[in-house]
Amino acid sequence: MSGNPTGTVYVERMSLMYRIQHILLMVTLVVLALTGFALMYHDNWFGRALIVWEGGVLFRGFIHRAAAIFLLAQMVYHAYYMLFSAEGKRELNEVWLRRQDLDDFLQAIRYNIGTANEYPRFGKYGYKEKFQYWGATGGIFLISISGICLWAETFSMRFLPKLFLDLCLIVHGYQGLLAFVILLFWHIYNEHLHPSVFPMNNSWLTGKVEAEWIRQEHPLEYEKLKQEGVL
Amino acid sequence: MKRMLTLFTPLILAAALLALPWAAGVAVSAVNECQDCHGDKTIEMSLPGGATLSLFVDEKAYRASVHGKGDCTTCHSDAKAPHGKLEKVSCGKCHPDAEKSYNGSTHGRDHAKGNKDVAWCADCHGKHDVRKSKDPASRTFRMNIVAVCLKCHNDRVIEEKYKLPDQTVMAAYESSVHGMALKKSGLMGTAVCSDCHGNHAILPGDQPRSATHRQNIPTLCGKCHPGILEKYEKSVHGKGMRGGIADSPVCTDCHGEHKITKINDPSSPVFAKNIPKTCASARCHENAGIASRYAIPKKRFSTYMESFHGIALEYGMTKAANCASCHGFHEILPASDPESKVHPSNIPRTCGKCHPNAGPNFAKGPVHVEVTPQKAMGVFAVRAFYTIFISALVILFVLHVGLELHGRRRRKRAEEGKKE
Repeated sequence: MSGNPTGTVYVERMSLMYRIQHILLMVTLVVLALTGFALMYHDNWFGRALIVWEGGVLFRGFIHRAAAIFLLAQMVYHAYYMLFSAEGKRELNEVWLRRQDLDDFLQAIRYNIGTANEYPRFGKYGYKEKFQYWGATGGIFLISISGICLWAETFSMRFLPKLFLDLCLIVHGYQGLLAFVILLFWHIYNEHLHPSVFPMNNSWLTGKVEAEWIRQEHPLEYEKLKQEGVL
Repeated sequence: MKRMLTLFTPLILAAALLALPWAAGVAVSAVNECQDCHGDKTIEMSLPGGATLSLFVDEKAYRASVHGKGDCTTCHSDAKAPHGKLEKVSCGKCHPDAEKSYNGSTHGRDHAKGNKDVAWCADCHGKHDVRKSKDPASRTFRMNIVAVCLKCHNDRVIEEKYKLPDQTVMAAYESSVHGMALKKSGLMGTAVCSDCHGNHAILPGDQPRSATHRQNIPTLCGKCHPGILEKYEKSVHGKGMRGGIADSPVCTDCHGEHKITKINDPSSPVFAKNIPKTCASARCHENAGIASRYAIPKKRFSTYMESFHGIALEYGMTKAANCASCHGFHEILPASDPESKVHPSNIPRTCGKCHPNAGPNFAKGPVHVEVTPQKAMGVFAVRAFYTIFISALVILFVLHVGLELHGRRRRKRAEEGKKE
């Protein structure tokens, strides 16, 4: 709990560790998207410009694979951190999918169309955050597997039919597009355009959010913080 | 009678002996006689329009020519001193074969119609200074032929007048691999104009009897490139061409004609980067008509260009596989032929040239085919799934956002209600 001269109360939502992980992930994904879409859209002006900007098709590949290694390292570290650190275990518990999330989602829809009277009360992470987190995790998992198969093509070719590599290529590209679409529509909406945070939820930089925002958007978390005496 | 002969024989012999120097003297003196006037460098004739024509004949050049031991009157039989305009010299009197083939040529036919621009004997061989074509000083010596032909065929006025191919088409020869071999490396063995087009019997390429008619091209190029011709004859293109299929490519369809360059020249149609465009031009493997006529797969070019090989090649990685890397060059065979480099049993070895681990398992699955359910079900299904999934997701996102914004207004009202 912390205050400032205007009397607004802030609480921590993202620790320094998560902010670092988030920024690294963001930069890595942007690099991967720019180098990946360059190849996927090579036949139009957009891809052509990207390829030229990235120093040609060969160098584009180097950048893409360097960023991919970095992403994989981050994934391994993140999994380790979530499973074995005290903070990670707590967060994993918060973000773990439960039956309640589906109920919350359905109730939110019902409330929004006017057939329910209570808007669901979310904990630290509601269904929107969990969808983002697990969607990205699953997507990165799939994109990593297909990417490794394509990269290690001399190895893959020994065991796998070409058809499998063709599929890997399609999955890899479209999974990238899917991740991009989720980021564009879901994450940008939730963290920037949503009326409660517009123009931006600053927690990815400061780590903190207003207690009032927590009370409105994540009431269960608010109550928990009160109980714990943080607020 | 016999006695008479014995009596006269010495006399005849003596007369003959006496006449010999006189006879020789006639020839010599005839040339000398002509040179009395024609040896004068300033002798000239006015032509209508104010131009003048020099009537000087260089005796030295004539003496050094292949006809130099002869006499002016052999060719100019109507010449006597003094004389007016002489009749045109007839080379065919002594060279009937050459005249016959010339008369059948495109030059000869136009010449017979009275065309003064068209090449006639003297335009290529010279007049008084005709030399054997083996003589390096001859106009028709191999190294000099190109200059002789380009005298007219690199002349814009002549080309426009007779609707000949643009001058650059033929002059491009000079920078071609053949032209460079001649000019830069000084190689006698290189192809000069007459090697492909013939000499006296030149005919345009659209006439079946022409040496450069499509059906004669492989044999023509094979004169100097026999090893390649042998491979080509066994290929699907060679067999098709010999079988009378006009769509089947001959050498020039891929390599070009006058401007043939080395394969490592980026402007060559068979330079690695240009091969896909050459094979899959609108004329050939990207042509739907050709594909259905000969039952070969469609969209070879676009499907290749969508593959990683195609993209890499497009952006300058000439190491990436192009058509010829897998299908071969002159020896291309259909995939159904066990000899073909792309027959399933040979695919591991063909791919293995660049990907050493490619195993028999790798040969499974189609290579650069159209993504349709019949040809590539797996890829088609996955792509369709993602397309539908991503589109559906976007629609659901938008719906969700709309609903949520609507619901927030309700929440806000409820909150305000509570406060009041």
